[in-house]
Amino acid sequence: MKLTRSALLLLFLWLVLLAGLTWFVQRQLQVGTDLRLFLPSPTTPEQRLLLEEIGEGPASRVMVISLEGVAPEQLADASRTLVENLQSSPNFRLVTNGDISLDSVPDELLAYRYLLSPTLDERPLDQKYLHSQLQERARDLASPAGAFLEPWLPRDPTLELLKVLQRWQPMQEPNRLFDVWFDREGKRALLLAQTRAAAFDPDQQRLAVEQLNAEAERLRRDEGVTLTFSGAGKFSVMMEERTRGEATALGTAATVGMIILLLVAYRRIGSVVLSALPLASAGLAGLAAVSALFGTVHGITLAFGFTLIGVAQDYPIHLLSHRHATRSPVEAARELWPTLATGVASTCIAYVTFLFSGVIGLAQLACFTVAGLAVAGLTTRFALPVLMDPEGRDFGDSAWLGKVWQGMQRLPRPRWAGVVAIALSVAAMVFAPQPMWESDLSKLTPVPKELLIQDQELRSELGTPDVRYLLVITAADTEYALQKLEALDAPLQKLVADGAISGYDHAARYVPTAEKQRQRQARLPEPATLRADVDAAVKDTPFRPDVFEPFFADVEKARRLRLLTVDQLRDSPLGVSVEMLLTRHGDEDDKAAARTTALVTFSGVQDVAALERFAAGSGVTLLDTKNASETLVTHQRIKILWSLAVAAVLLAGVVMFALRRASRVYRVLAPMALTTLLIIGILQAAGVSMTLFHLIALILAAGLGLDYALFFEHAADDPMEQRRTLHALLVCSASTLMVFSLLALSSLPVLRALGLTVSIGVVSNFVLALLLTRPTPPAHGT
Amino acid sequence: MLALLGALIAPLTAGSAALNDQEADALIGRLAKPAPATISFTEVRFSKLLRAPLIVSGDLGYSGPESLDRRVTAPYREQTSIRGESVKVEREGDKPRSFALKHAPELRGLLSGFSAMLAGDPVALRKAFNVEMAGNDDGWTLKLTPTDTKARRRLQQIEVNGRHSEPRCFSMTTADGASSVLLLGAASAEPVAPDVTLIALQRRCGSGQGS
Repeated sequence: MKLTRSALLLLFLWLVLLAGLTWFVQRQLQVGTDLRLFLPSPTTPEQRLLLEEIGEGPASRVMVISLEGVAPEQLADASRTLVENLQSSPNFRLVTNGDISLDSVPDELLAYRYLLSPTLDERPLDQKYLHSQLQERARDLASPAGAFLEPWLPRDPTLELLKVLQRWQPMQEPNRLFDVWFDREGKRALLLAQTRAAAFDPDQQRLAVEQLNAEAERLRRDEGVTLTFSGAGKFSVMMEERTRGEATALGTAATVGMIILLLVAYRRIGSVVLSALPLASAGLAGLAAVSALFGTVHGITLAFGFTLIGVAQDYPIHLLSHRHATRSPVEAARELWPTLATGVASTCIAYVTFLFSGVIGLAQLACFTVAGLAVAGLTTRFALPVLMDPEGRDFGDSAWLGKVWQGMQRLPRPRWAGVVAIALSVAAMVFAPQPMWESDLSKLTPVPKELLIQDQELRSELGTPDVRYLLVITAADTEYALQKLEALDAPLQKLVADGAISGYDHAARYVPTAEKQRQRQARLPEPATLRADVDAAVKDTPFRPDVFEPFFADVEKARRLRLLTVDQLRDSPLGVSVEMLLTRHGDEDDKAAARTTALVTFSGVQDVAALERFAAGSGVTLLDTKNASETLVTHQRIKILWSLAVAAVLLAGVVMFALRRASRVYRVLAPMALTTLLIIGILQAAGVSMTLFHLIALILAAGLGLDYALFFEHAADDPMEQRRTLHALLVCSASTLMVFSLLALSSLPVLRALGLTVSIGVVSNFVLALLLTRPTPPAHGT
Repeated sequence: MLALLGALIAPLTAGSAALNDQEADALIGRLAKPAPATISFTEVRFSKLLRAPLIVSGDLGYSGPESLDRRVTAPYREQTSIRGESVKVEREGDKPRSFALKHAPELRGLLSGFSAMLAGDPVALRKAFNVEMAGNDDGWTLKLTPTDTKARRRLQQIEVNGRHSEPRCFSMTTADGASSVLLLGAASAEPVAPDVTLIALQRRCGSGQGS
């Protein structure tokens, strides 16, 4: 292939431009992995909370770890070592194995026990109470618990600290062996680890998962212990890896297949290499546009975007197939341009509507695709022809293509078949047993069932909160929130007693309201009174009167303490639990806008109706996260369907503008419209509920259909031109079909949805374009 | 709780010669009793927090190496069950209290000493304790020191006094000096004075070896 000087210069400039774009993209592009980018922006407080919950809520950050394989005592030791190792790691905020002892309470919190324990609400710390307590302690001392209580008694004769620790325990206590959590059979030691990163932050989650894998390896090697863990974070890492792995494998296979196909079709390496330039430019332009406009690009945008702009490979194919024996490639390109431009413009306009769908991920996708397709179209028109070798095979001369075209001419055009297809599709939509739309978010990235079962089982052993139901309390500040929670506590206890739930958790279990603390503080006796009361109380007990100095000191200290706040607790091990249950929103300066959201989590929900009655009766919101997420998805779908409707109108508008004549417009649009209907019908008949990704695929298929139809329509009466067009369309549809049927093989629903939908679309569009759009043979008249 | 300072303070019965390991093993072997076994006890607990020792009595039920029940019948009712690693204390009119055996090394010492002796298994006993034995068949003393240094930080030693194949006293001393003496079987039948001293008790246990 010989290139003129100006062509060489153009190639050089083009490559420099691509290099520049690559540099820009590398500098700018940040790939995000937060799936919430693909959810609509929340409109209600519940939806906002839901999105926070899905991505970073208490349940989503927790990994459940189990150790098994050796004797319980060794497992308990391994559990303790694991806590030490993980606790010091930056990937985990909190790792617990249930080991809580009197000396696990930070020293500065010790004196707060009198403000945290409910004892003083019921009775004063007087002689009578002290006397009964000391008698109890004497019995404790004579019991097997005596040895470990003994050192505490001078400081805490009423065992207030134990009461506080008991309050802080989860309501549904897991089984314990050797002081650490075990399952009911005592075969597996259980731990909870809370990651620092949110569940949908796979990059950070991966670090945590890798560390756990390393610990698992160490335990297996050194101690023969099998470590298994489970949690939303692990699943998101796993699914991301699988998606990436499959996408890479399928992408590689598709690329190889594409190259082979192009080599077979055009027999020239130079042409194949050149034809990759518009696609490469499209990809880089898309990336640059998204990173300039949005900053971070979602991983799904990238994966999808590249699949969608893969269509741009069709543009150089048209050019290559229309190589002319007597005309230069530049002339050929000029001739093709109206048709090509109509296809590119209408597809781009269809995608532009996604910019206004209210879903950031879709807006990114639209931006990426529009920029990519426009660049591919323009480079195919203006740059590629200059570089193309003017010599080459003219497919207009191909005898077999001529025969194929003639064969096609003779094909019947049964109108009734179209009517039947429409009727069948509508029937499938109406009568298919499954819901037309998939509203379950988790179905998009399904975790293998056995892993979910294992996860559920471990969580129920540990009594971790149910993810589905939450009480949401919004208050102006933390104190009000705590007050509301305190007021709810008695009815909540009744729910537990009635068996509607097996436990609950809220922030006021850890930090009492300032009001309550102040009341308790006021009830603490003066030093002299306390001394006198203790002296009197000790008299007929076996205790010596002079051993309680540390007790006097602590009570006096508690009388003067500044009340405990959530902030103070934040840095202690308990801080994590409290923080998850109580969130402050709004900025620090604007007090008016600030609000506090408090959650009540439940474990072992048995009676949802009772929960609903309780919530309605106490005027708080019961958030059913499953319901809320389904509503969210439904809202999103309505928005996207509106976008699609607008897209369809715009697309038809562009085609009408370009083609002018109603009969031409009908011939071009009919196959596309019918195909869309057919795809939906076939998917419904096959029992597939449609998702967001099917919708994106539908647009892609429609874009392809439009291109096919436009080019069939474009093929004039000139038999040479007809053959060239047929060649181009055969190569285009074969390559697209190959790529998407590979995707349809994927085990991942997202990729499968895309592959399946587009594959059906390619076949249907091609066949229908052939039947409906192809110029009618002259014999029958036009 | 069940520890016995006496073992530290009280000298071993004069004249009783130290037994060699073989003789000790033979003696331990003779202590074997088939499970389940029940024996009455009186426990006297000394503490520096107390003016007078705490005295409770009841019976101990042993039904296997990991299962011990301690029933207090006087002066109040209380039941402690050790099952594996968990200890549950129930007292009438009170909420049951559970804790892990790990928190009570004294109890673990008692349990493993008790188990090994009732099984007549010197090997098991030597695994958990350094065993020293003195006296003769009519009056012997087993001095058990935990082999594990971590356990020794809490439980200093256990001393068992007995005659023939009957253990009579189980005295435990914790590292911080608290102690308790468990009078077993016939030895528990005799009343204990409310202001009994450790030395007096020690003598009573030792007096069993008499001659």
